[in-house]
Amino acid sequence: MPRGAPGVGSGHTLVICEKPDAARRVSEALSGGAYRSELVDGTTAYRFSRGGEDFVVCSAQGHVYGVSDPSDERTVYPVFDVEWYSSDLVDKDSAGAARRISAIKKLAAGASRFVNACDFDVEGETIGYNVLRYACGGKEEEALRAKFSTLTEEDLVQAFGDLKPQGTKGLALAGRARHAIDFVWGVNLSRALSQAALGSGHRYRTVSVGRVQGPTLGFLVQREREIREFVPVPHWKVSGVFERDGRKFTAGYSVDRVETKAAAEGVRDDCAGREATAKSVRRSLAQVGPPVPFSVGDLQKEAYRAFGYTPSRTLQMAERLYLGALISYPRTGSQKLPASINYRNILAGVGRIPEYSAHAAEILKAEPRPVQGSKSDPAHPAIHPTGDRPRRALDASEANVFDLVVKRFLAAFGPSARRELVDVALAVGEHEFRLAGGRTVFPGWMKYYGRYAGYRDVELPPVSEGDRFRVVEVRVEERFEQRPPRYNQSSLLEKMEKEGIGTKATRADIIATLVGRGYVAGEGMEVTELGFSVVETMARYAPSIISTQLTRGIEKELEAVEGGAGGEAALMRETVRSLARQLADLNANEEAVGKEIDSAQMTTAAKSSVLGRCPVCRTGELRMIRSRKTKKRFVGCSNYASGCRASAPLPQRGVVRTTSKECERCRWPVVYILGTGRPWRLCVNPDCPGRKRR
Amino acid sequence: MKCPLCGREAEGELCAYHAAAKGAVEAAYPRWARAFGRIDWKDYLDSVKRNPQTGQWAKEIAEFLRG
Repeated sequence: MPRGAPGVGSGHTLVICEKPDAARRVSEALSGGAYRSELVDGTTAYRFSRGGEDFVVCSAQGHVYGVSDPSDERTVYPVFDVEWYSSDLVDKDSAGAARRISAIKKLAAGASRFVNACDFDVEGETIGYNVLRYACGGKEEEALRAKFSTLTEEDLVQAFGDLKPQGTKGLALAGRARHAIDFVWGVNLSRALSQAALGSGHRYRTVSVGRVQGPTLGFLVQREREIREFVPVPHWKVSGVFERDGRKFTAGYSVDRVETKAAAEGVRDDCAGREATAKSVRRSLAQVGPPVPFSVGDLQKEAYRAFGYTPSRTLQMAERLYLGALISYPRTGSQKLPASINYRNILAGVGRIPEYSAHAAEILKAEPRPVQGSKSDPAHPAIHPTGDRPRRALDASEANVFDLVVKRFLAAFGPSARRELVDVALAVGEHEFRLAGGRTVFPGWMKYYGRYAGYRDVELPPVSEGDRFRVVEVRVEERFEQRPPRYNQSSLLEKMEKEGIGTKATRADIIATLVGRGYVAGEGMEVTELGFSVVETMARYAPSIISTQLTRGIEKELEAVEGGAGGEAALMRETVRSLARQLADLNANEEAVGKEIDSAQMTTAAKSSVLGRCPVCRTGELRMIRSRKTKKRFVGCSNYASGCRASAPLPQRGVVRTTSKECERCRWPVVYILGTGRPWRLCVNPDCPGRKRR
Repeated sequence: MKCPLCGREAEGELCAYHAAAKGAVEAAYPRWARAFGRIDWKDYLDSVKRNPQTGQWAKEIAEFLRG
C-alpha cells in the first residue's frame, strides 16, 4: 500500500483498534485494500474513504494507560490513591506509549466521529475507554462501538455497518476497577514485604503477592505439603493369565486393590491348577458424544494434553492466529457456537484447506448443527476457525494450535461415536476375574477430531458364557499408593477456574509470574522455600491475602460491575479498608516478616545453584558458580577443596534452572536453559556421549 | 527453637511441617502392619525411607525416628 505524507485532516471518523495487525485488517476490510498508511509520531495510521466518509484507523498497541501511585516515592506504603498515567511512566516494558498517545491525540484532533474497535472484552473495553477519555478529549461517552469476534472481511464489514452506541461501559468500569484494585493490592504488599526483607537482610529483591497470585500460591503450597508429608500404604494387585484354544490373555481380579498380602496370596493359592469358567459375558454399546466447542480454558488444557504447551504459550499462539484472521477471538469463556457465525460458510472455507476438505464436505452433506457446551460468554462465541486459509506459513506451534481448533470445530458437528464394550466375568471357585475390552464400531466425531480423540481399542477373543479356560498363572504384585501429583500449568489453571479466581485473560500470566518470582521451580512446579515462606508469612500475619474467599468475593463484585450494576467505587473503598487492616498487621510484625522472607530468599538462592550430585566424587554437589575473575558462570563440585576437579562450562546467556534429573547416559545433572528462545534441556557434562551424538 | 531437620522455627521438637509428617508416618504404621501381617517398627521406617512414593519430609522423619 502507498505510504502517504503525514497529515491529520479533519471531519474524519477515527477508529481505535487494540493492536496494529487489527488496525491493518480493519483498514483492508473496509477499504477493499484501497488505503494509505502513514506514520504519525512513529505510529502507523491508515486512511481511506468509504461511502463518502473519511476514515483514519490507528491502534493503541495494548494498554497505553496504566494505574500508578501519584507520588514519586517507590518505597513508601500504604498507597491508596491511584491515578491513570501514560503506561511508559508506569511500566518499563511499555516504552513508546507516550509516542502512541501523542499520535492518537494528533489523529483525534478534528475527528468528527470516534469508533472503539478494540477487542470486545474487559481489557479491550478498558483500553478503548481510556484512549477515548484521555487521548481523544473525553469522547468515551459519545463514541460508537464496533463489535466483532473475528477479523475476517465479512465480520468487520458487518460490524462497521452496524455500529452501536458505546453502551457497554460496565466492562470498562469493571476493567478500570480491576486494574486499580490489583495495583493497590500488589504495590502495598510488595512494598511491605520487600521493605521488611530488606530491613533484616542481604539484598533487595521484589517479593510480590498479587490479589490472585496469593491464593494461587496457596493452592500450590497446600499440594506441596500433601506431597512432602505423604506416606504410601501398600496394597496388592492380583491378575490372572488364562488360556483357551492356545490363546492366552490377562484378566484383572474383581477387587482392584487387595488390602493385605495374605489375602492376595490366598487368591493365588486358591486358583492354582484350577479351571476358570466364563460366568457372564456382557456386551454393551456406549454412545460417546462429541467434545464441546473450545473456551479459552478448554483450548489451553487440550493443547497442554496434546502438545505439552503451557497455557500462556497456547494463548499467545491463539492470539497470533486471531490477528491473522484464522480463528475467532480466543479470550472467550463460551462453549457455544451460535448459528449467527454461519456454520456453512466456515465449513466451506475450512473445506478449501486440503487436509480438512473431506471431513468438511461430509459435514456439509446434511444441515450442520454443532454440539453446545454449558458455558456462555455474552461477548464472544466459542473459539472456532474463520474459514480463511493461512496467508503465510505458520510456525510449528501455530500450526498445531490451528489444527487443534479446526479439528475441534469439525468434531463438534460430528455424530456421537459408538463403542462396543465387552465385560467378561471369569469365575475360579469363589474368585472372580474381569476381562474388559472395547472398540470403536462407529467413529462419528472421532474421525474429525483425529489423533486428539484419545480412545484406544482393546480387542478381546470371542467368548461365550460357560466357556472354560485353563488358569496359567495368578500374579500378585505389591503396589503402593501414589502420592498426589504436583500441579502442572494446565491443572493449576483448571483449579483457578474452578475456584473462581482470576479471569480468562489473566490466569496464564499469573502462573507465569509465580515462576518468574521464584516461588515455584522446575518442570513440576515445585514450591521453593521462598514460595513456602511467602504463604506462611501471609497465613500468620495477614491471612486474608491468601484467602480464596476474599479474592472470589472481589471477582463476583467485579462481574456485577461488568454487567452494569455499578458499585465500583464502593468496591474500591471496601478493598482499601480490608487491605489497610492486613497491612497494619504486617507492619506491626515487620521484623519477624523480614527475617522469614530474607532467610527463605537465601535458602532458595542457595538451592537453585545446586544442580545435583557430583558423578565424579559421588559425595559432593555440582553447583553453579560464577568466576570472580572472569565473571563467567560454570559448574564445579562442592568437594573442590578435597580434590574433586569435576567442572563444566555453562551457557553464559539465559537463565539456568535446575531439574533434579540426571542424564540417562552419563548421570551428570540436566538443566533447563530459559530465556534464549525456546527453553532447552542440557546435560552439563561437556563429554556426554549424548551430546557428541547430536 | 529450631527444627533439627530443616532449621525452621519449631514450637515443640519439630517444625509444623515435620510434625505433620511425623503424624503421617506414625498413622501409616498400623496400616502397614495390617497389610503385611506384621512389620517391625524399624523395618517399617526403613521401608518408608526407601519408598520412592514417600514425600521428602516423611522420608526425613523416617530417618530421624530410625536414629
